[in-house]
Amino acid sequence: MEELLSILEEIRPDVDFINNERLIDDKILDSFDIISLVGELASHYDIEIGVENLVPVNFNSAAAILELVQKLQESY
Amino acid sequence: MSYTSGLFFIFLLTLIVVYFVVPKRFQWIVLLLGSYIFYLAANPVSALFLVVTTISVFYCARWIGKEEERFSREVSANAETLTREQKKHIRNKSRRKKKLILIGALILNFGILFSLKYFNFFANSTTYLFNILSIDATIPRLDLLLPLGISFYTFQSTGYLIDVFRGKVKPDENIAKFALFVSFFPQIVQGPIGRHDELAQQLYGSHEFDYTRAKFGLQLALWGLFKKMVIADRAAILVDEVFGNFAAYEGVTIFSGVFLYCVQIYGDFSGGIDISRGMAQIMGINLRENFKQPFFATSIADFWRRWHISLSEWMRDYIFYPLSLSHSFAALGKSTRRVFGSRLGKLIPIFLAQLITFLFVGIWHGANWTFVFFGLYNGLFIILGILTEQPLNRFKGRHNISLTGIGWRVVNVLITFVLVVIARYFSRAPDLVTALRMLKRTALTFFPIDISGGIFTEMGLNEKNLQLLVVVLLVLFLVELLQERGVQLREKIAKQHVLVRWAIYFIAVFSILIFGMYGINYVATDFIYMGF
Repeated sequence: MEELLSILEEIRPDVDFINNERLIDDKILDSFDIISLVGELASHYDIEIGVENLVPVNFNSAAAILELVQKLQESY
Repeated sequence: MSYTSGLFFIFLLTLIVVYFVVPKRFQWIVLLLGSYIFYLAANPVSALFLVVTTISVFYCARWIGKEEERFSREVSANAETLTREQKKHIRNKSRRKKKLILIGALILNFGILFSLKYFNFFANSTTYLFNILSIDATIPRLDLLLPLGISFYTFQSTGYLIDVFRGKVKPDENIAKFALFVSFFPQIVQGPIGRHDELAQQLYGSHEFDYTRAKFGLQLALWGLFKKMVIADRAAILVDEVFGNFAAYEGVTIFSGVFLYCVQIYGDFSGGIDISRGMAQIMGINLRENFKQPFFATSIADFWRRWHISLSEWMRDYIFYPLSLSHSFAALGKSTRRVFGSRLGKLIPIFLAQLITFLFVGIWHGANWTFVFFGLYNGLFIILGILTEQPLNRFKGRHNISLTGIGWRVVNVLITFVLVVIARYFSRAPDLVTALRMLKRTALTFFPIDISGGIFTEMGLNEKNLQLLVVVLLVLFLVELLQERGVQLREKIAKQHVLVRWAIYFIAVFSILIFGMYGINYVATDFIYMGF
């Protein structure tokens, strides 16, 4: 989780990723943030995040993002 | 059938009555029949294209669904014996097959849209190019009729197909129901472009008549009619004069004229959308919002989150995201990071994807170089916004300017407003040269020598009409301001004293009947976006 938080904070230092659970619903992250984030996650964790994963439930909180990452690391 | 015609009103009333009288399980059939009647009344031959899209998308979605099932069965049947690598291989093979089906359907449907909408544009441009290169050849223009709503229903159907491909929605099983999804009449004229997961259940499901909901729907439609007939059609008179005769006017008049074009197109388009959403709401169907007080935007990026929302979200989900997440763009990102450093290098592929996306947004609006310019202009300012974000924040920090204070917000709104008006020179002018000439004239002769006569006199609207225009613009501004602050207007009105409520309804209906622009050319004044 620490790794993920530091990635998130680098992209948006102004956002409280520890507590916020409505990152997408409250439009805190915009489409550019998402793309930057996906790029970082893909290269850092060596996973492939397809467009079908870009749904609010996967990105609304740091915990949700971590869950997505772990799921993609396990899948084939 | 124009939304503002008596015939349409009769059609709608009949449809609503029948809708709530028939047994619930037939309600969707009423909608389907109504939608096709509406379509055939407008454009009988073009219905063929609607049917081609319906059939092709429906069957391709089912085909993709069947392939997914086959793949799942294959993997689960051999789950024990297959290695991770083998599973990956089978998955990729299945994916490729589904992708081919998808691409085939997309080529067919976008091919139709492209040919009908843009053939002449390409013919003319190519002929022009030949002339420059001294090649003696002409590509003939074709006299093609654009089917009603083709830009909208094509996007809505292909969006569905892509969602099926991505596994986001399950393919529809019933082609008649799917035909309703494609042709639903409140959306077909000018959107909003819907998503299957939001809309299908509502369309196919059953609805009870609800008085409050019907009342709210009617109010919304009334507001839409007001925006279209009292505001937009009135402003149109001045707009036509400014664009038709710009050399006769000074910069401030031209700029105001283009501003009025923004008002016209907003009143016309959002008015039409409100009528659509209001009608649908009466029947219990919730169509997505397409506008969120666009002139309160604090940046061009913000503007496109408030203007024609269903289009910009479609472009984001089906063009911007796939492009910027594609392997080629990821590879591009690696090279640009090497050359330009981490921060800028990371942004360049995103910027490129953004420009391409807005190029599409631009040309979606029309087959003209002005729209190409319009698209790129918007894309460029969004990129500029991102590039200047950090330096601006540093500047504000140094000078103690509050980032969230109202002062800074107003500045942003005004700057964005000017940028938006400038962009509109390009979406209304007949060609690029004229747009540029108008801009040049605006800049060079901005302040008139003598404004004692007023700005918009002798331009088609008499003084009373001009005063009325100012009044209704103020009303519009007030309503939008309240909405921006989150006030739920229809609920608020419902809570008022009965006399206040009826006064508001009376004024609204009265204004539409008396102040609606029923000019000599009234019948010809159709929704601007209906030509899409």
